[in-house]
Amino acid sequence: MFRICFVHQSVTMTTKHRLITDSFKVVKKARKGGKREKRSPPPSPENEAGNDAGKEELELRQFDMDWRFGPCTGISRLQRWERASLHGLNPPEEIRELLQKTHSEPKYNLSLWSEYPL
Amino acid sequence: MFSHLSVQKEGSSLLCRPTSEEQEPVFDRESLAYTPCTDRYKVGERSFSRQYAHIYAARLMQMRPLLTKAAQQMWGSDVVISKLCDLQTGVQCCIVGTLFKRMDLQPSILKEISEEHNLLPQPARAKYISEADELILEDELQRIKLEGKIDRDKCVTGSVIAIYGTERNDGKFTVEDFCTADLPMQTPRPSLSSDRFVLLASGLGLGSSSADSMLGLQLLIDMVTGQLGDQGEQRSAATIARVLLAGNLLSQNTQDKDASTKAKYLTKKTQAGSVDAIRLLDELLLQLVASVSVDVMPGQYDPTNYTLPQQPLHRCMFPLSSVYPTLHLTSNPYQANIDGVRFLGTSGQNVCDIQKYSSRDSHLEILEETLRLRHLAPTAPDTLGCYPFYQKDPFILEECPHVYFSGNAPAYESKLITGPDGQEVLLVTVPDFNSTQTVCLVNLRTLQCEPVTFSAFTADDEDSEMNISH
Repeated sequence: MFRICFVHQSVTMTTKHRLITDSFKVVKKARKGGKREKRSPPPSPENEAGNDAGKEELELRQFDMDWRFGPCTGISRLQRWERASLHGLNPPEEIRELLQKTHSEPKYNLSLWSEYPL
Repeated sequence: MFSHLSVQKEGSSLLCRPTSEEQEPVFDRESLAYTPCTDRYKVGERSFSRQYAHIYAARLMQMRPLLTKAAQQMWGSDVVISKLCDLQTGVQCCIVGTLFKRMDLQPSILKEISEEHNLLPQPARAKYISEADELILEDELQRIKLEGKIDRDKCVTGSVIAIYGTERNDGKFTVEDFCTADLPMQTPRPSLSSDRFVLLASGLGLGSSSADSMLGLQLLIDMVTGQLGDQGEQRSAATIARVLLAGNLLSQNTQDKDASTKAKYLTKKTQAGSVDAIRLLDELLLQLVASVSVDVMPGQYDPTNYTLPQQPLHRCMFPLSSVYPTLHLTSNPYQANIDGVRFLGTSGQNVCDIQKYSSRDSHLEILEETLRLRHLAPTAPDTLGCYPFYQKDPFILEECPHVYFSGNAPAYESKLITGPDGQEVLLVTVPDFNSTQTVCLVNLRTLQCEPVTFSAFTADDEDSEMNISH
């Protein structure tokens, strides 16, 4: 892994305009794969749906995906609900009840995309 | 006005024998009811983890009902207001959205760091508009290119407007007309019995390499504190109830860019340039606050945060003057109720930024435009630094001010405008004191404004005498 990085650097130093993928296609692929392994994969929604908790989470995700209430990243779900309510957009009341019930858990508290880096 | 007040006198009290101590007249300074309304410009928690999408979303949420009303007033209550996603080709309709101007010359950090382009650093420009600019309207979901009766160069990114027209076959929107939210509602001004003045000044520029303005500045302080002129002038100076310093108290020269890039061991013993300037400011403020209430707003070059809203300068920087209750350190958009007259203004960053990114040049014209857009700083956060608000956009005007000002303008200008619902607003561009030696006096009773110039021994007109009351 280290050797590969070194080669990569020296190539970019000499020929600026050529991409590394032009000559080292296989190497690039291997690096990409290694990088992906490091990051923890976001939880897939399939294995949690079905039971009651999954249903609630699905509802909250539906709320996240509703474009009328504005962007959802970077703020908590409750903050987003309150903003929508402040501007008279009538967000669903049951979402707030659900959020207040489960406000300590980050799974409920934060938006669908919270695990992705900005 | 102010100049007339000083003339009403029987004889000069200067060229005569001094009266004894007890008979010296004492002029009581007018004091006014003062309520600061700067809570909306206070930033409590400082979280910079959010993106700026929120401020645009909140802005559109807040402005949409206002613009819907404005559009209905302009094009009739049966006008079809639709979203961009429901747009049909060839059908006339009205759309509310945020303007975005794509500008080739707009400086971009991404462009600068991309080595592959091998670009030369862009020269500093006065304006970033070009012929290739494109105007785009965005709503919550989509965007569309605009053409037709809308002046591309006059518009700026971030303004929320309503447009009326049709979409053509090629996917562009032909604008037939557009409208802005226009002036908000205004609470009526109480009628005052006597003339009272608020003095507006900006750009004192302390710590600059040239000390030209120091004599003018001292004259200004002496005039306000009643140590200048005869008794008539002192009497009129007592009607100045408040002094408002609108930013750039320190000069740009105090911001030493080298200090941050030089090695630590080279700058170890050096003192920041702003230390002496702040000390000088403290001494000048001390003379003022002993006699009159002073509001101090920070500006672009002052030692506080850079992003709008700028928070008040810290009290600990003014050990001498901060013991007086008459010193008010305020935030940079400034909002206050002075004797029932509502003041709103900034230190000029918002106006200067619009000047750079549009074809407009006059600060007064830009100031009026921001009032019509009902937004203090439409170009924030695009080209103007701004805190990432998410819940509300605090720069949207909710109540119409009576006096709307911006500081650090190249010249003094003022204008009284009347809104559609009878709102009366005095627009003032407060000139940069360091270069113009001019301040303005606003009469709270008549809402008139007058410049006062302290031109002492200027190079261009040597024969003109010191002229303190216009």
